[in-house]
Amino acid sequence: MIIGGSFQGKLDYAKKLYPEILWADGRDCPYGEVRTCGGIFHLEAYIRRIMKEEEDHGRKYLGLLEELGSINPEIVVVSDEIGYGLVPPDPFERRYRETAGRICTRIASDAEQVDRVVCGIAVTIKNKL
Amino acid sequence: MIHLITGGSGSGKSEYAENMLCHYQKEEGEQLIYIATMFPCGEETKRKIRRHQRMRRGKGFETIERYTNLAGIVDVLKNYESVSVLIECISNLTANELYMEEGAKESTAEEILTGIEAVCRIARNVVIVTNEVSSEGFFCSPEMIRYKQVMGEINCCLAKRADRVTEVVYGIAVEVKKDR
Repeated sequence: MIIGGSFQGKLDYAKKLYPEILWADGRDCPYGEVRTCGGIFHLEAYIRRIMKEEEDHGRKYLGLLEELGSINPEIVVVSDEIGYGLVPPDPFERRYRETAGRICTRIASDAEQVDRVVCGIAVTIKNKL
Repeated sequence: MIHLITGGSGSGKSEYAENMLCHYQKEEGEQLIYIATMFPCGEETKRKIRRHQRMRRGKGFETIERYTNLAGIVDVLKNYESVSVLIECISNLTANELYMEEGAKESTAEEILTGIEAVCRIARNVVIVTNEVSSEGFFCSPEMIRYKQVMGEINCCLAKRADRVTEVVYGIAVEVKKDR
């Protein structure tokens, strides 16, 4: 898993680290792609899209993300780290950052390695390998 | 031991903080106290409070609700022979002191820091949860800027006072200041 603020060079770093894999773009990929893709970037946008969908549909795919560690154990996940600001006044935005946080926490707990990229520099904060 | 724990929203700070206080509790008969600061207004905060209550169930915490004037809690803590305290969290306390009628208003930072100092004098271990609130740059009113400023001031003072500071990143503890 690779996390960090926006525009910090996360994807460049990920592609260097894993040059061979096929990537899904969380901003517009079909939802089911997380089951099979080698890596997904903009996971935060994927979560946001699902949450904007109708309730039932959304729940199914949010559940899929919770189980990602067993469904697609080799996947590389790249996500913006959000939730470092004031509590947003909009209820959806509050729910979004809370949900994104919980899902990323779950994925990080299943991950073998978690790297955090700041200004293009990656720091490994978890390594079980 | 004074341990400050910070991080973003939904990052698992609370669970980590609860586990740390249980970890520090060594003496038999030492009471664990949870100072809850979230004022229950509206369904969303009530849901949040219930979630936290579920999380710490069975861990042996006694909960004391305290929205302002943290120093006043010392009278309650004195009743125990030995206590370890979890304060959750500074971002709520700050909002309460700034905006509640009985809050300290312009002396918010001083009020909170004095309160924490008083708790630290009585408790064997104090774990404090705070929040990173200043790293997103959407437009802020002067009021919001003021809040971030007070939070920043309190966090810096607490980190200086603490023996250990940890940032929790998606459940992963990243040490910022190590135990002396």
